Amino acid sequence: MNALANLADQFIQWAFAVNPAVWPYTWIVQFLFILAAGAAAMGFVAAFAGPVTWVERRVAGRIQSRVGPNRVGPQGILQWLADGMKCYLKEDLIPEGADSILFRMAPYFVFAGMFGTYAVLPFGAHLVATELNVGLLYLLAITSLVVVGLLMAGWSSNSKWALFGGVRSAAQLISYEIPSAFSLMAVILVTGTMSMQGIVLAQGGWPWEWFIFKNPFLFATFFLYFTAAIAEGNRTPFDLPEAESELVAGYNIEYSGMRFLFFFFAEWANLWIMSAIATVCFLGGWQIPGVSPEYIANATGWTWVGLQALTFVIIAAKASTLVFLVIQLRWTLPRLRIDQLMITCWKYLVPLSFAMLVGVLLLMVFVPDGSILDWIMRILMTLVGAAIALTYLKRIRYTYMVDRDNYKKMSGKELWFPPYRLP
Amino acid sequence: MQPVEIHEKIQNTFGADVAVFKPELIDPAIEIQPEKILEVCRFLRDDGDLKFDFLRSLSGVDLNDAFEVVYHLYSYAKRHYLVVKTRMNREEPSVDSVAGVWPTANWHERETYDLFGIDFKGHPKLTRLFMPEDWVGYPMRKDYVNPTEYHGIPCTREEGAPVTRHEVEGHPTVQQAMHEKKCPETMGFMRLNMGPHHPATHGVLNLLLETDGEILKRAVPDVGYLHRGIEKLAEDNAYIGTMPYTDRIDYLGAMFGNHAWALAVEKLAGIETPPRAEYCRIIASELNRIASHLIGTGTVSMDLGAFTPFVHWLRERETINDIMEFICGSRLTYNYMRFGGVARDIEQSTVDMILRWLDHFEPMIDEFNRLISGNEIFIKRLAHVGVISPEEAAAHGLVGPNLRASGVNFDIRRDEPYSIYPDLKFDVIVGEGFEGEVGDSFDRFYCRVLEIRESVRLVRQACEAMPAGDIQGKVKKVLKPEANEVYARVESARGEMGMYVISDGSDKPYRMKTRTGSYTAMAVMEHLSPGLLIADLVAVFGSLDIVAPEVDR
Repeated sequence: MNALANLADQFIQWAFAVNPAVWPYTWIVQFLFILAAGAAAMGFVAAFAGPVTWVERRVAGRIQSRVGPNRVGPQGILQWLADGMKCYLKEDLIPEGADSILFRMAPYFVFAGMFGTYAVLPFGAHLVATELNVGLLYLLAITSLVVVGLLMAGWSSNSKWALFGGVRSAAQLISYEIPSAFSLMAVILVTGTMSMQGIVLAQGGWPWEWFIFKNPFLFATFFLYFTAAIAEGNRTPFDLPEAESELVAGYNIEYSGMRFLFFFFAEWANLWIMSAIATVCFLGGWQIPGVSPEYIANATGWTWVGLQALTFVIIAAKASTLVFLVIQLRWTLPRLRIDQLMITCWKYLVPLSFAMLVGVLLLMVFVPDGSILDWIMRILMTLVGAAIALTYLKRIRYTYMVDRDNYKKMSGKELWFPPYRLP
Repeated sequence: MQPVEIHEKIQNTFGADVAVFKPELIDPAIEIQPEKILEVCRFLRDDGDLKFDFLRSLSGVDLNDAFEVVYHLYSYAKRHYLVVKTRMNREEPSVDSVAGVWPTANWHERETYDLFGIDFKGHPKLTRLFMPEDWVGYPMRKDYVNPTEYHGIPCTREEGAPVTRHEVEGHPTVQQAMHEKKCPETMGFMRLNMGPHHPATHGVLNLLLETDGEILKRAVPDVGYLHRGIEKLAEDNAYIGTMPYTDRIDYLGAMFGNHAWALAVEKLAGIETPPRAEYCRIIASELNRIASHLIGTGTVSMDLGAFTPFVHWLRERETINDIMEFICGSRLTYNYMRFGGVARDIEQSTVDMILRWLDHFEPMIDEFNRLISGNEIFIKRLAHVGVISPEEAAAHGLVGPNLRASGVNFDIRRDEPYSIYPDLKFDVIVGEGFEGEVGDSFDRFYCRVLEIRESVRLVRQACEAMPAGDIQGKVKKVLKPEANEVYARVESARGEMGMYVISDGSDKPYRMKTRTGSYTAMAVMEHLSPGLLIADLVAVFGSLDIVAPEVDR
């Protein structure tokens, strides 16, 4: 809010050459600035959630040795527009016996809960709609709206399968809030602030300055948070609310057209949210390696613009990597059963996140920042992280090689798809 | 033990006039008086020397002047085989139910009641199985007249035919019966329909669920959506004319329907098949078994939310379909076999293609295991779920991989060999509790994966040992087998596929009855379901590998 108001004040001084403090129309300009910021965030959501559906389908196609959508636009990149247009033109059905008011409202609740988080998510050094000092708390609170929406959708549809989906999602989301909140609490402990920008500023650009590699407990906390976040986002292996082979489609079974689209819009936008939160809290956020935040803050003119763009690219690259991981998990793993899901949460994730919190606390007391032990831990954990990343890449290379040999054996031709020429 | 000795044993126990031996039949039968059938059946099951623990098939036959119920029995313990018959008058056909002796008789008797109107006294729930509850008449009777209309749906193509309307007799439908029953123990449970259009039912069938939240009270299968009356159609067709219909019994394993029908008629008419044709049959059958198991194991993983393994298997199956196109010209419903031979030869180029594909395919099984069979979540979902003990499996008439997964070491290819299976080397895969206990869903899944490997071995051996020669033996143009009857069975991908054929000397079969694996697997669902979660039901259902048209036929 403050950042936006300051920007509006600067704009008034520059455009109208009056003192904004005494100018009677200041609030109009400020209001317009807020609207513009909202529209920009909305634009980003659309521009992310849309294409990421295409990315997901193409990645799934590659994983499943089929092609995926490649007809609308170059490599099918405009498929999401076609899908959106199709859904827009569909009949808006409300089933007989449904609670029509709740049925209509449910998608907006889900969407509002998801979209509200974008108010505090930083997209770059200064690219953030509002710098709330309770940003993380706000995030956890606003995402609860999603549960209300899903439960409403499940209840109001007047379908037993939808009700199953709604109740499952309520149970699941509320349970997994706890480990995810505790994991984020560890970060709050370390930084002493709930502001998203504050958390980013407490880290650095280089990997060993990130919180994930700060100590073993935070390293584990990252994975705990990520697991809980996948569960909160209803993604495989935790996609029970919409388990298509059990509940047909879950809470959204009776929805059609635009309302159906809203649910899916929220689901894919949520991919970004969970990845961005993980990036901000654990992976150094938008920090540029070797460039101090003060330098970015003091930059002016084109340097400022360039640096902002660079910070955006960095945070987008990190978040996209996580998004890609989530997509890959979805197309690899089977789904848990409802009791196994609850066991995973209450018997493993919740106690573990408690333990990690205590561990972080103890390390904070006994190992001060910047001490030799702190540095040893950072470097060790960075090496462990690098080893994991390397193993991951080696696995990918291995499967690619197996595929390549097989293709050659079967067809007698070389398998080589350069990145610019997808099948 | 031979049927003659069993006959003597029955006579010694129950008196000389109870049982009549019929040695003139290809499978010698014992005819029992209808009043004594329950006692005799219980004796056959419980006697220490006989131990008939498996009711293969129970068929009704309309003899114009009487009805006959035929029981095909088998003993896993003693490995012998028996046909028992009983005859009743046509006016009030009724016989004691044997559902208390073999639980699998439950559905067989319901089917016989549905199609012949034979009353089984003491049956727990004698309602129609395939036909709607308010259907008039019993379609498999020889004097049955097809109605022209059913609730406004025309049943005939002739225009201007007189309309015979169905009267609703006050019989409640299965759904009504279930939903209206207000017994105290089912009060407070949620009733819901899983199907007929549900992603987990793999075809059109309906599971009526009674649940307490996610926990099932029971699941009652409601089948008959795909009942096409293949048995009735066979009675109106020449023997060879039924061959394409047998494709449609189990569309994922069409070759086995072909094979069972060909075997039955060849046995009936005494037709010899040249060796090369037998090799062609086995290569095609085993490829078909691989294709069927690919779908079977793939859908298990899909039902549990992992879509990718299924698509990978579909890719492999696509190549089998291509090979099948080279072998017999079609990709799904083959119509490949003929009496005394096959329709087309397998050329050397096709054999090379098969061998090349097998080289590619074998590592793919390892890849599949890496991807899904070893997955921790997958194992947790399947192990210890839907456990069927060996005794239960035999009593409920489970066959094929489902039976072997329960620990019963029985494979028709080895134990009652047909075709060239005695010449080929393969292992019979038996469930041994790979990740949980014997007879759980994971065993059923993993037995199929291992059977794919055995089928690969079989195809390889058959391809390498294929002799030169004819592919068609000498068969008369118009086939008129002598009056006799036969029960032929093959090991299909879903277990025993049996064809019971009666000939009356004309060019059309007098009666044809098919016994399929999915039918009994479907019937066991009601027994397995209490206490499962909905997600478990999907897993168990997938692991039993049920193909809906094979249930309904």
